[in-house]
Amino acid sequence: MSMTRRQALKSAGAATIAGCLAKPAIAANDPILIGYLPALTGPSSSTGIGINRGVQMAVQEINAAGGVGGRQIELISRDTQSDPTKAVNGAAELTKGHKVNVVVGPINSGEAIPVVPLLARANVPQLHPCWVDQLADAKKYPLCFRNGPTNQQIGGAANRYVVEVLKKKKVAVISDTTGYGTASVNAYVPMLKTMGAEVVYQSNVDAANPDLKPEILRMQAAGAEAIMPWSVNAGFLSRIINTRGQLAWDVPICGQTTLGSGQTKALLDKPEYWNKVYPNNFRPVCYGANGNLPDRTKAFVDRLRSAKIDMSDTLLWWIAVGYDTPHLIAQAIKNVGAEPEKIVGYWNKLKDFPGVYGDISFTPDEHNGYPDKQIVMVEANSLKEGAFNLAPGYGAA
Amino acid sequence: MVESIVLSGVAIGCIYALIGIAYNVMFSASRVFSFTAGTLGMLGGILGSLFILRMGMPIWFGFILALAGGALLGVVTEIVAVRPVLKSLDQHLYVLSTLALALIVQQYTAIEWSTEPQPFPRIFDVARGGFDQQLWLPMVACAITIVGLEVLYRHTLLGHAFLAIAEDNYAARALGLPERNLRMASYALAGAIGALAGFAGGQMLLAFFANAPLLTFYGFVPVALGGMGNNRGAVVAGLILGLFQQAANFLVGGIFASVAVFTVFIIVLLARPDGLAGASVGRRV
Repeated sequence: MSMTRRQALKSAGAATIAGCLAKPAIAANDPILIGYLPALTGPSSSTGIGINRGVQMAVQEINAAGGVGGRQIELISRDTQSDPTKAVNGAAELTKGHKVNVVVGPINSGEAIPVVPLLARANVPQLHPCWVDQLADAKKYPLCFRNGPTNQQIGGAANRYVVEVLKKKKVAVISDTTGYGTASVNAYVPMLKTMGAEVVYQSNVDAANPDLKPEILRMQAAGAEAIMPWSVNAGFLSRIINTRGQLAWDVPICGQTTLGSGQTKALLDKPEYWNKVYPNNFRPVCYGANGNLPDRTKAFVDRLRSAKIDMSDTLLWWIAVGYDTPHLIAQAIKNVGAEPEKIVGYWNKLKDFPGVYGDISFTPDEHNGYPDKQIVMVEANSLKEGAFNLAPGYGAA
Repeated sequence: MVESIVLSGVAIGCIYALIGIAYNVMFSASRVFSFTAGTLGMLGGILGSLFILRMGMPIWFGFILALAGGALLGVVTEIVAVRPVLKSLDQHLYVLSTLALALIVQQYTAIEWSTEPQPFPRIFDVARGGFDQQLWLPMVACAITIVGLEVLYRHTLLGHAFLAIAEDNYAARALGLPERNLRMASYALAGAIGALAGFAGGQMLLAFFANAPLLTFYGFVPVALGGMGNNRGAVVAGLILGLFQQAANFLVGGIFASVAVFTVFIIVLLARPDGLAGASVGRRV
């Protein structure tokens, strides 16, 4: 059959257009692209640096073991510099430029707040450990999952410890003036009141204030039996602890995990000021009554030691949550493939994923995966290789 | 409570006053408000911690090096951020250039040092008490600086030369004074004073990069209240600011203390635009 020049041109044009529009086939050995938004520099970077150690180790382990179904994981990392604007730019680049399969992070709530809706619109599955409550909502953001606790869970654990274990009924709640600090105070004070405690002092203070003696004296005058500070600023927290020590005021301090960080410890006037300080932490990464870590965690720590990953200047739970995250992604892709809806479908049915950090479960209606029972309080002064002893009152369970 | 307000207030007020003096020394030499003053204070604390705690140097040597570091930044400020804009003072480009330099130094410090506050060493190995060294060190540093500047300006030839260029730099140059060198020396002196503020207040403020904007802001208040270029006014206003801030901390607490401080600051400037100690200057029309 003969073909006119016009028909030939039409056919060639149609073939070209079809070629351009056709979705490129994903080769079986193409890498799995994981977009990663850690804060490795900037004022909130201590968490990011710890988490990054776990993420990098997990990716190396998975790739060394042959990858996921023969496909290597390629981690495309963009440092958010603790800046929400840079986190948004990074997320846009990862989804539009690199067309990643999944995004991990951001790992600070302030950066996650603008990024979560952006990724929801980009139709990319997201896994993050941020605590602010609204950052995982199965209806609003059906592709977003949280493998960490919510603020409600964290505050609930601290409040239960103060009111039910320590039996303190008059509580002082203080925070810095950041969004996290003020949101925490606003959320936890009503919870305390519901539990029957009396909040005798409540305040948001500029974290740069060099002298917190007025605040501590005001708490003392109000008859507080426990201090609950909510801030990630080690300088602010250390000033509270130091002032309590200088006043020889023997009330417990219970609150944010940073109370137990190495940065806070380094700023204490005296080591003994760290006594009776109980930060939040997570049972799977704590020393039990026998002084040992759970078996799963012990094996993980041995692998960290073999890989010469430093644990002395960070917290074990940061490394652990970082380590679990690529494994959660790898398990989903290995079982159902890398299509966004398949990953989401798999996670929606996830039950008790045995992470080092915790047992993660999701349902189609609940994308907050961390179990309440694994959130505990610990003794700050027991810090050893990033892990703590459980606070008094938890028993050997 | 009153004792606490007074001791803490005077201590923090002395730090603000020293930063205010650093502003003034730079202003006198160049008619420029260099917003690197707070950065100098931040650097004094961080260099002190770096040399003494991290590098293990003797305290006296770390102290001298910290002041030298401040002086060096002062000179760099003059060369990089002030000298290029001196010819167009009326356009106030120095606001941009000095703020930019301050920001560069602050960010570089955050990257190289730490974004978390770091400990500052105890200067004297004595037990902590009510009137601790973290309170009296800034007071001593402030007193020494005031006396030292009085001696320098009133009883030395160099001091007279500084005053001459502060009074009328054209006339001073016509008399053969090396204006540029004197200006650089003034900036070095201001750098050392700023670093001294950070070093003396290091135990209170910690070695923290974010102290720079705090000191830039609160250090400017004594200058505005005390009168531009007026060191005595800066000291008095710095002490008043520190005391008022501490009193507000005790009485109203929380974030309302800062609100109270700046409310009073604005009211004072509305009532006396030239500052508490400043005099109105006539303008030929």
